Amino acid sequence: MAFNVPDAKPLIEDEFVGEAAKRALQYIQTKRAAGMPVAGIYCGYAPMEVIRAVGAVPAILCAFANKTIAAAEAVLPANLCPLIKSSYGFIITDTCPFFGISDAVVAETTCDGKKKMFELISEYKPMFVMDLPQLPDEKEALANWAVMITKLQGFLEKTFEKSATPEGIEAEIKATNIKNRLMNRVFDCAARKPSLLKWSETYELVFLAQVATTEDLQATFQEVFKTLEEREAKGVHYGTASAPRVLVTGCPVGGDSTKVYKIIEEAGGVVVAMDSCTGMKPFMTEIEENTGDPIAAVAARYLQLPCSCMTPNTRRLDELDKTIARFQPDVVIEVVLHACHSYNIESYKIMNHAKNKHNLPYLKIETDYSDGDVEQIRTRVEALFDSL
Amino acid sequence: MTVFNIPGPLINDRYKSDQVGRFLDYILKRREEGTPVVGLYCGYAPVELIRAMGAVPVSLCASSQRTIPAAEAVLPANLCPLIKSSFGFIRTSTCLFYELSEAVIGETTCDGKKKMFELISHLKPTHVMDLPQLPDEEDVRERWTEMVRKLKIFLETTFQAEIAADRLESEIKETNKKCRLIDGFFDYAALHPPPLNWQELYDVIGLDAVTNSGELQSLMAGITSTLDERVAAGICFGSPASPRVLVSGCPIGGDASKVLKIIEEAGGVIVALEACSGMKGYSIRIDEGTGDPLRAVAEATLKIPCSCMTPNRSRLEMLDEMIARFKPDVVIDVVLHACHAYNVESYKITKHVQDRHALPSLKIETDYSDGDVEQIRTRVEALFDSL
Amino acid sequence: MTTTLGLDIGSRTIKLVVWESGAIVLTRKALTSYDPLAVCRELLHDAPTGPLVATGYGRHLVKEYLHCETISEIKAFAVGARAVFPSCRTILDIGGQDTKAISLTEDGRIDKFHMNDKCAAGTGRFLEIMATALGLSLGDFMAEAMSAEASHPINSMCTVFAESEVISTIARGIARPAIALGIHQAIAARAVSLLERVSITEDILFAGGVALNRCMQKEIENKLNRKVHAPADPQIVGALGCALIAEKNPKEEKKDGF
Repeated sequence: MAFNVPDAKPLIEDEFVGEAAKRALQYIQTKRAAGMPVAGIYCGYAPMEVIRAVGAVPAILCAFANKTIAAAEAVLPANLCPLIKSSYGFIITDTCPFFGISDAVVAETTCDGKKKMFELISEYKPMFVMDLPQLPDEKEALANWAVMITKLQGFLEKTFEKSATPEGIEAEIKATNIKNRLMNRVFDCAARKPSLLKWSETYELVFLAQVATTEDLQATFQEVFKTLEEREAKGVHYGTASAPRVLVTGCPVGGDSTKVYKIIEEAGGVVVAMDSCTGMKPFMTEIEENTGDPIAAVAARYLQLPCSCMTPNTRRLDELDKTIARFQPDVVIEVVLHACHSYNIESYKIMNHAKNKHNLPYLKIETDYSDGDVEQIRTRVEALFDSL
Repeated sequence: MTVFNIPGPLINDRYKSDQVGRFLDYILKRREEGTPVVGLYCGYAPVELIRAMGAVPVSLCASSQRTIPAAEAVLPANLCPLIKSSFGFIRTSTCLFYELSEAVIGETTCDGKKKMFELISHLKPTHVMDLPQLPDEEDVRERWTEMVRKLKIFLETTFQAEIAADRLESEIKETNKKCRLIDGFFDYAALHPPPLNWQELYDVIGLDAVTNSGELQSLMAGITSTLDERVAAGICFGSPASPRVLVSGCPIGGDASKVLKIIEEAGGVIVALEACSGMKGYSIRIDEGTGDPLRAVAEATLKIPCSCMTPNRSRLEMLDEMIARFKPDVVIDVVLHACHAYNVESYKITKHVQDRHALPSLKIETDYSDGDVEQIRTRVEALFDSL
Repeated sequence: MTTTLGLDIGSRTIKLVVWESGAIVLTRKALTSYDPLAVCRELLHDAPTGPLVATGYGRHLVKEYLHCETISEIKAFAVGARAVFPSCRTILDIGGQDTKAISLTEDGRIDKFHMNDKCAAGTGRFLEIMATALGLSLGDFMAEAMSAEASHPINSMCTVFAESEVISTIARGIARPAIALGIHQAIAARAVSLLERVSITEDILFAGGVALNRCMQKEIENKLNRKVHAPADPQIVGALGCALIAEKNPKEEKKDGF
């Protein structure tokens, strides 16, 4: 799978093409050198607006490499999500540069594995675990989550010896909304038929956009839109009009698990939508502005994240409907990381929904970070395309 | 392993050791009397509320291998057998207690259960309680009390009944009386060597669900007198040299009790059962006469040291208490296959019993099938050999 | 008169089907060995020529050398099954080293599929190893199972451990027919579990080498409580599907001399 021209300019043209993590690291290191504290995060539930309002820069902690898993398995059970094992392995081998420069770590009680793994790393750095409500539609959920966010703010303020104001948080809310709108303009280009973007370009931009401020991203966005407009004008697109359009949903896919995206392309498909927290998910919600209670507004936005740790996760089906309408995929592929019970059990509902409501062929791929199952994944993806 | 002519069985009613028969007849009888049935899966559901409403709480079936293949048509195979079995029972309509239940209570304890409840919530009025996961937070008791309050409203609405504060207070006192009786009975397991085996421990624990405190008291009189007879006659289970085993971890029932059988066959005597299927709940007392019985009940269930809590300090404290009381020689931590919370926590348990109590421990990861019986046996025998 | 060819390059056996004027004119089978390409060439040697489509685990290995198109084995089986049994809606394939279940829509398109290709439990290989452990040929193994009056269940699903279990069961004096039947029933149970992950709608086709085993067919029927149809040559269903697809979309001619 390729662009229809041999010399397509990369979306983000710098020395880090193809190296999303390194680009993010350099950004964070620059900020740190300028005196900003670093808050390590693992998850889409970490309230970025509060982290930024306190004057810190968020760092996405390493969780996507197979190589640190062996070390982790000396303590953690092998039958556990690779993301959790990889994260833990990075910490005990001291090979995550983001963790190394973090001044604090923000954690949430999303899934069992993460929850218990956090206990094992709580002594390395100041860590705050947020008790995430599991029933987001209940009326107390919002209030309880707002209390958690306030407590997080207190923890960050104390740890960093800085403070955030309601006005500061409100400003971050507005900045996030601007960023999200800009990101969605990029996603719209991915939604074109045929797509203007390769999945890895979106992936790199997403990675950077999670850690960088809207202001710092302005120049990048300018270049990105210029490149996309040029592509459109010159009829440059990715893949062919007949290539199956793939919506990938499920667990966060990154690093070694991007083998799935590569296999999809090698089988002739084009990944047009990445419906996970390492894809479009973090940028899909607008935070209510000028409510007079910015913490509550932030709490409401994060509680809308359709993660499978929520029950019942009806919002996931609603969001899936919107994503399908927007990207018009030909198939849905769900990636479930090995031993991820929430996404795995929920996949039954997703399958039924994709087939019965949208008449879309659906494939669930249970995988980990190793490359031992590449051919088995390939067979299944090819079979899925064959059924079209 | 020596087995003598033992005075018994412990429970001197017409069921004797037939625990299942006793429970079944009890539920059917209550049902005939018009008592509504409320199904539960877990110790976090406050049964006092159910009883105060005039309903009877039943633990739903969850420990048979037989129903697992049916479950695996929908649930992933790589999942805790307890969850698969529960779901399988419902899918095959073979859990009589579920069929009889007019409402079901679930909690957001672990991921697997949480997502499984979604698949059954349309079959019966099902209420899922949002369980706080950080027990040390200052407002956790407040939040859980609110959840228990919501449970009360759900029950009152579903059954068109009232849960009065004074009846709740009576149920609290009832529970405490029974817990004291059963907890007192555990003293026999603390003897060197104990005059009873794990089956008998389970049988007596099973009386909790089918008696009120008065009935339990009279049965307990017979139980303790039989046990005193044994002690007086020098009759014991195993021998003074048998390794004393504290079994910790996931709930062990039904097909999972193969582990307990293997431990005894290997020459061990089980003196303590830490899990929710064992002694865990009986050391907890609900505050009486507080003026707010709902809050008292909520605060009590929150004390359960389940691995879904983080950090689960209470579990280490409970282990310390049990080790001091029952004086085991080894700790065996049973983790059900794919139970992430207990599995990851096992690392801490091993370290704790080793560092704090100089006790060897063994983790056994298993499921409900009998394919791994010999592998478990090898490990348990090796553990005993190392003493 | 078009001639097309289909190759199913499995991990244990390679099957060739030559299709001409609406009929199978030639079938060949051979063990895959460590050099599947060489085996393919041997099978193709002096066979009729025509467009070739390959499927199976080895399809990508041979694609360049044999100048053929490749399709997934799911598609190959879906097409081949409908040719062999036009009313089939569900396909169970138990091959040498993997198993798959496919459900088809009414018009024969793939609806759901589920594969087990990570583990040999319940595959042809498993049967071979068990037969050997009992000191029987595959044919006798099936016959003993069919003659059994009772069944002794086996617990291990891992091929290696099941073999040890069978040996120790024989040592304990359990009758061979009972063990043989127990093994068949264990595989049937696994096959039915796999089928339950797709939808089971009649008619049901049983393909793959293991479908030659009448006892297996019977045990699966018992477990499903439904009829299961095993074709005369169940191993060539995938290769047949390939040859039929080559007929519909002739892309490349198989070239002589490579």
